[in-house]
Amino acid sequence: MVDTVLVKNQKQKRARIRNLIILAVVLGALAILPQVTSEYITYVAVLAIIYAILTGSYDLTTGYTGPLTFCHGAFYGVGAYTSALLTLKAGFPFWVAFPLSGIMVFIFAAIIGYPGLRLKGHYFAVTTFFFGHFIYLVILNSVSLTNGPMGLRNIPPPEGFLGISFTSLNSSYYLILIFGILAVVFLYFLVNSGFGKILISIRENEELSEAIGVNTSLYKVLAFSIGAGIAGLAGSLFAHFFRLLHPTTFAWMTSEMVVIMALVGGLGTLIGPIIGAGIVTLILELMRFAPEYRFIIWSVALIAILIIEPRGLMGLVRRIQGGKK
Amino acid sequence: MFLQQLINGIIIGASYALIALGLNLIWSITDIPDFSQGGIYVIAAYVAYFAVKLASFPFVVSLLLGMVVGAGLAFCIERFLYRRWTGRGRIQLLCAIALFFLLSNLAILLWTAKTKIFPTYLPGGISLFGFAVSYQRIVVLAVALALFIAVYFFIMKTKMGKAIRAASQDREAAEVVGINISTVNSAVFMIGGALSGTAAVLISPLYSVFPTMGDLPLLKALVVVILGGFGSVAGVLIGGLGLGIVESLGSVYISAAYQHGFTFFVLILVLLFFPRGLFGRV
Amino acid sequence: MSTILEVNNLRKEFGGVVAVDNNNFTVQEGERVGIIGPNGAGKTTTFNMIAGYFKPTAGTIEFEGKRISGLKPHKISQLGIGRTFQIARAFGEMTVYDHVLTGILAHELHFRPTPKQIEQVEHILELTKLAAFRDNLVKNLTIASQRRIVLATALATGPRLLLLDELMAGLTFVEIDETLDELRMINEQMGITLIVVEHVMKAIMQLCQRIIVLNYGKIIAEGTPKEVANNKTVIEAYLGEEETYA
Repeated sequence: MVDTVLVKNQKQKRARIRNLIILAVVLGALAILPQVTSEYITYVAVLAIIYAILTGSYDLTTGYTGPLTFCHGAFYGVGAYTSALLTLKAGFPFWVAFPLSGIMVFIFAAIIGYPGLRLKGHYFAVTTFFFGHFIYLVILNSVSLTNGPMGLRNIPPPEGFLGISFTSLNSSYYLILIFGILAVVFLYFLVNSGFGKILISIRENEELSEAIGVNTSLYKVLAFSIGAGIAGLAGSLFAHFFRLLHPTTFAWMTSEMVVIMALVGGLGTLIGPIIGAGIVTLILELMRFAPEYRFIIWSVALIAILIIEPRGLMGLVRRIQGGKK
Repeated sequence: MFLQQLINGIIIGASYALIALGLNLIWSITDIPDFSQGGIYVIAAYVAYFAVKLASFPFVVSLLLGMVVGAGLAFCIERFLYRRWTGRGRIQLLCAIALFFLLSNLAILLWTAKTKIFPTYLPGGISLFGFAVSYQRIVVLAVALALFIAVYFFIMKTKMGKAIRAASQDREAAEVVGINISTVNSAVFMIGGALSGTAAVLISPLYSVFPTMGDLPLLKALVVVILGGFGSVAGVLIGGLGLGIVESLGSVYISAAYQHGFTFFVLILVLLFFPRGLFGRV
Repeated sequence: MSTILEVNNLRKEFGGVVAVDNNNFTVQEGERVGIIGPNGAGKTTTFNMIAGYFKPTAGTIEFEGKRISGLKPHKISQLGIGRTFQIARAFGEMTVYDHVLTGILAHELHFRPTPKQIEQVEHILELTKLAAFRDNLVKNLTIASQRRIVLATALATGPRLLLLDELMAGLTFVEIDETLDELRMINEQMGITLIVVEHVMKAIMQLCQRIIVLNYGKIIAEGTPKEVANNKTVIEAYLGEEETYA
């Protein structure tokens, strides 16, 4: 059977319409969620959105550009604590602390990334692992700054404007939903732009990419830093929504969780990791009652994914689609 | 005080060196930074603990048991997991890290997070320069050194050892010459697992058994490998001892809390200026 | 015709081994120059030094009057030199269209490709007869096609000098002829200078106006294909290899 150009275009059009409808439904559901469900579910949804931003930013670095990193939890944490401290101790308003924390994490990551991304083989990945743990230790032990294991409390919510206040659950939810949508849109346009194509070329074959004139070091550092910066922003959102920070929230388990979320959905597809974040958040909440099993199930799940379909959900979808023809 | 810390540093450094030796072998042959060794460390310690506590085995037996369990676990991990993804390093690394978390948390699940005291098997000690050094600590150093010498001779003199050396220099060339890489891989993993298991059992009587006991030793051993171990057996030994000493002294004279952070900070600094490790052979 | 590439006293040592031994040669703009020699003669090393993968131990390489020896590969590409690879390399997960587009974007990055850039991609796809495959994923195509895609991508970077590394290896006679036509067209119509490293003699003799012969790191002959084919030293260099088996 030969697909004529006409039939192909029709198929593409149908696929596009189908995707738009799905998107509309999902957005619609998210929009009315707090009105129709309990407070608890709204909390979970906020967490899911924040994780989606976190995982999407991870996909930018690892899924699209290539290097495996294990310190995304640390970037998340630095963003969270920076934003919290800027508002708590330095008196900045949220609307200033939020972008500042993103920028700070961006710079931070660039400083580590610039030399780090030159490391060959697995050196960089292992180094990020150490780096993540190092940050956790610093946060844990800088008691005078971060209160260490006692946690940071009473972080203020975002200041209201135009008569809207963000002290209630629902209004905070919508604020975070809007940020989530903005982040996803930003990432989407970024990975589908010329910049995104260059990143993909680096992932696919760094030597060829270099040979056609791409300054691969520069782009890798940029992808790493932008991904980190967005993770920092996600951290800030977390801090001002949940208003309580504890170092263990940002230990290496969180970095592992981000990796799993991205893998479940499918690295390098953007939509995959976002869906993955949603799925994993859901499962996490379902397992509230057996926290000891949580980590084991994560690790087993990670290995299972690697065995069955390392390209995650999106990989499975493609496999099925491929079979259909 | 200084000498006390120095001795302690040497002892713990010896354990890092053991793990690092195995990691070094594995990483240089298979290009996998085997994080699972951290988990193997934990499991071996618990097995030895129960052997002594429940079955009243003598320490020597439990030490051998730790070695065997370590070797066996590592063998299975390579055979049934890593081997599936030959040539796909990212997946292997992810699996290694997942196994590390899996095994550690399995220990929490099975045996609770409560620290278990490993019974003293050789009480007493000697007096050295005016203070006491327990026999158990001396055993750690003695066994570690013995194993290092054993591994050294194994690699230099035996047939398998030569195959391992060839494979570590050039995997493809080794295969072309007729060396069975699968066998080499299995051997190397078993050695690594045995070394980690031994280190765990040796350290348990000194620092107790608890599920997260593998975390820091694994990371420290990785630091040793990255900073200089790729070259030689001797390099790993010196590196491990050195790190142990530096840490131990640092914890007293700088800060206990930042002790571990200090190590990583040093690692990151060194890698910044020496992207190929101190004795670089990437 | 001006000199586009000038190689002066080029030397490369690896440890104690001298791979390239004080070579001098120039390439004129618009030429088709071939570099041949037995295995280990230093062709690929020379090639890689021009492309920026190795730093010369001594000597200089100048491109359009500018010194390029020791520069990084991506800088060299930005200056106007393109290259292909011996081992199959490609951006497998991209479509052919995107693959070529990336070559253009690498030199002039835009968020969205400009109409001019889109036109350029179309033009190159036509030129290299890849237009029919534009929406196919590169990884699903044959090795020969992938090589053509890499060549197309190299063209997309707008080079004035193109370095071709064993483009003909493993091709059928028909494919070789097609490639030769393509290369001649690239050279004559687009004015791109070609430097070709090859083992497939028939191809290089047909394509190149001038041949440089290396052996043991040194240039042993230089001239038209006919001159080189009849050169005693060259024949000995190649036969010498076979004689060791006797």
